[in-house]
Amino acid sequence: MPLEIKDVDAYYGSVKILDGIDFSASHGELLGVIGPNGSGKTTLLRTISRILKPKVGTILLEGRDVQGMKDKEFSRNFAAVPQDTTINFDFSALDIVLMGRNPHLGRLELEGEEDIEIARRCMELTNCWHLAERPITELSGGERQLVIIARALTQEPKVLLLDEPTSHLDINYQIEIMELLKRLTSEEKLIVVAVIHDLNLAAQYCDRLALLHKGKIVSLGTQAQVLTAENIKNTFGADVIIKKHALTDHCFVSPVPSLLKRQNKNEAELTIHLICGGGEGASLMHELCERGYRVTAGVVNMLDTDQEVAKLLNIPVVTEAPFSPITEEAFQAHLALIDKANVVVLCNTPFGYGNLKNLEVAERALERNKPLLVFDATRIEKRDFTNGEATKRFIALKDKGAIMVKSQEEVLKLLNISTLFDA
Amino acid sequence: MIKPKIAYFNKFIHWKMVMVYLIAILCVTIVLTTAIGPVYVPPLEIVALLGNKLHLCEAASIPHKYDVIILQIRLPRIVLGLLVGLSLATAGTTLQGLFKNPMADPYIIGIASGAAVGAVFSMLILPGFLFIYTKPFMAFLGAMFTTFLVYNIAKVGRRIPVDTLLLTGIAVSLFLGAVLSFMMFVAEDLHSIFFWLMGGFWLANWAQVKITILPVFVCFFLIYIFAKDLNAMLLGEECAQTLGINVEWVKKILLVFAAFITATAVSFVGTIGFVGLIIPHITRILVGPDHRILFPASALVGGIFLVWTDALARLLGEMPVGIITAFFGAPFFIYLLRKRKGGHYFT
Repeated sequence: MPLEIKDVDAYYGSVKILDGIDFSASHGELLGVIGPNGSGKTTLLRTISRILKPKVGTILLEGRDVQGMKDKEFSRNFAAVPQDTTINFDFSALDIVLMGRNPHLGRLELEGEEDIEIARRCMELTNCWHLAERPITELSGGERQLVIIARALTQEPKVLLLDEPTSHLDINYQIEIMELLKRLTSEEKLIVVAVIHDLNLAAQYCDRLALLHKGKIVSLGTQAQVLTAENIKNTFGADVIIKKHALTDHCFVSPVPSLLKRQNKNEAELTIHLICGGGEGASLMHELCERGYRVTAGVVNMLDTDQEVAKLLNIPVVTEAPFSPITEEAFQAHLALIDKANVVVLCNTPFGYGNLKNLEVAERALERNKPLLVFDATRIEKRDFTNGEATKRFIALKDKGAIMVKSQEEVLKLLNISTLFDA
Repeated sequence: MIKPKIAYFNKFIHWKMVMVYLIAILCVTIVLTTAIGPVYVPPLEIVALLGNKLHLCEAASIPHKYDVIILQIRLPRIVLGLLVGLSLATAGTTLQGLFKNPMADPYIIGIASGAAVGAVFSMLILPGFLFIYTKPFMAFLGAMFTTFLVYNIAKVGRRIPVDTLLLTGIAVSLFLGAVLSFMMFVAEDLHSIFFWLMGGFWLANWAQVKITILPVFVCFFLIYIFAKDLNAMLLGEECAQTLGINVEWVKKILLVFAAFITATAVSFVGTIGFVGLIIPHITRILVGPDHRILFPASALVGGIFLVWTDALARLLGEMPVGIITAFFGAPFFIYLLRKRKGGHYFT
């Protein structure tokens, strides 16, 4: 392995910051370092870039101990982009980038054609050549970050270390910089080690992730291995949901809504049952839970968004196997839930032959004198995939006294007038 | 897009032009200030005399009545003025770059006070154990001692925050000021110390120039070698470190050189304040922050500035030149302090 960090301990004074850090990275790899504040991420980069000397352990580049390298030789191999890139001096962007040639030039040597050619290439690579003549003090945060990365590249290093290169930048620059890092690894075969604050960016762009906690690597591997709800809970202390990104199949981390923590606090008198499916009930489930109603749901297929949300919200739900029609067994279980409910809501779900039984269950609810709220946001003809069968039953519901509603707000308003639905 | 590349090389040409202009101004300055004084000497005669002395032209019939005034009184004074201006400006540029603070200056940091104590000490107690070198040597010892005292007091952990450095420098300066006052109190020859302290070029002679010129130029060159390092250090010390610069080492070396070049200047002409503060700042506005041009340019501007202020001092009845520089410098320092509020240095 080209870059090996072996059993490194590092201290600030007598405080141990890094504890037995041990990992390696190869050419063309983008390694993301993640972890909560104060976990030692920046210290790790400072140690690799030789600003902080490890007390124990060695750092090897292609088998050579970096402590043995001369200063200039070291900086021909390692380049770093610091967290704070503010520069208060009137250097032009090109001046700044050319400082990256320092390790290649003698003390009194002026930059030559070749150096400027290299600077130009690096600035084109980072897409900031058009800024070359502008004073660095006048550039925006994102532009400055590109210039600083270009400076690091003009050192022609083998290893590029970045400390939160995307923090304080807008999403456009975040993407630009992460794609740039990706390109640098895959095309220029650099070893890139980057501390990244945003877990989703890290998951999407890094080849591997190292999760740091209290100076130790607690997890190292692919994003799927590292980014588990359990790992995040143990290190960040935060409750998150990990989902797969629909487009890229990368992990996607989002915080759990705070209601899960205050559930059961406001025990409501009403139980609301949602007949849903196709993701149409999810947000209503959330809203109702938020307001302290007891919520049940059915029948939804496994892997349906409604099912996943119900699971997250801890809602009793009748489920059916993926892509399967509702069985008699599920139908009966569904009826049992409806019997316990005070109000039944039929969501804006599309109907096919598989879930026609959910319309039938709505009829039964009316027969049992349960108040039935029916969503009529999308015309039933448009969500009927049963050649008119569903439409027929839907209209029958209307005739038998179902209350038609257009929006979630309307449902919530009706539920508020609780005299309508005496418990 | 090829434009920035050409512009970059234009920068080097621009630097050369700046140097050519400054050297031209310097030449004119030498001639004009030689003319100024209690006895007016026509500038053309000065040019003729200089040309003759340097074997540039053969002027057969030069009246020799001005020879002594020009060659023995005014020229050594002007050359010494140039060397001192160069030294103070270079020390100021070094310290300002080192501490990333335009308020760093050999006087404010306390280096000059240390040199002054050393020099006065030699005047009082050890007159001449190293002959003419006694005073510069003691001044250097005083400057070095103060530099390392301030450096070590101001050090927090392994770093030197700018604010503690400035405060330490001021505290140490005050203390050294008390030491100076005490030495003057017990001194028998109060008058000479007093006048020396105010800073002036009355006693300038070729012997002093001879002793000063070599150390000053060697030291200037040695500092200039670190120009690129100082540039990188302006971006932050850790940044400089990743660019292959041993920051702590460079800091120490440059502090020693700054102390040395300051002591050399102080030991002959006394304390002339604020040159090291104003000159680098003004030069930076003219040529930008790159130390590769900032050092030579501010050295020249410093020399030119001090020669003119000395000429002014001469016209005002041999007033100590330190008074004039302080008249300019102190308001400038206050201006910088007020400007600093935005948190931006050097802009």
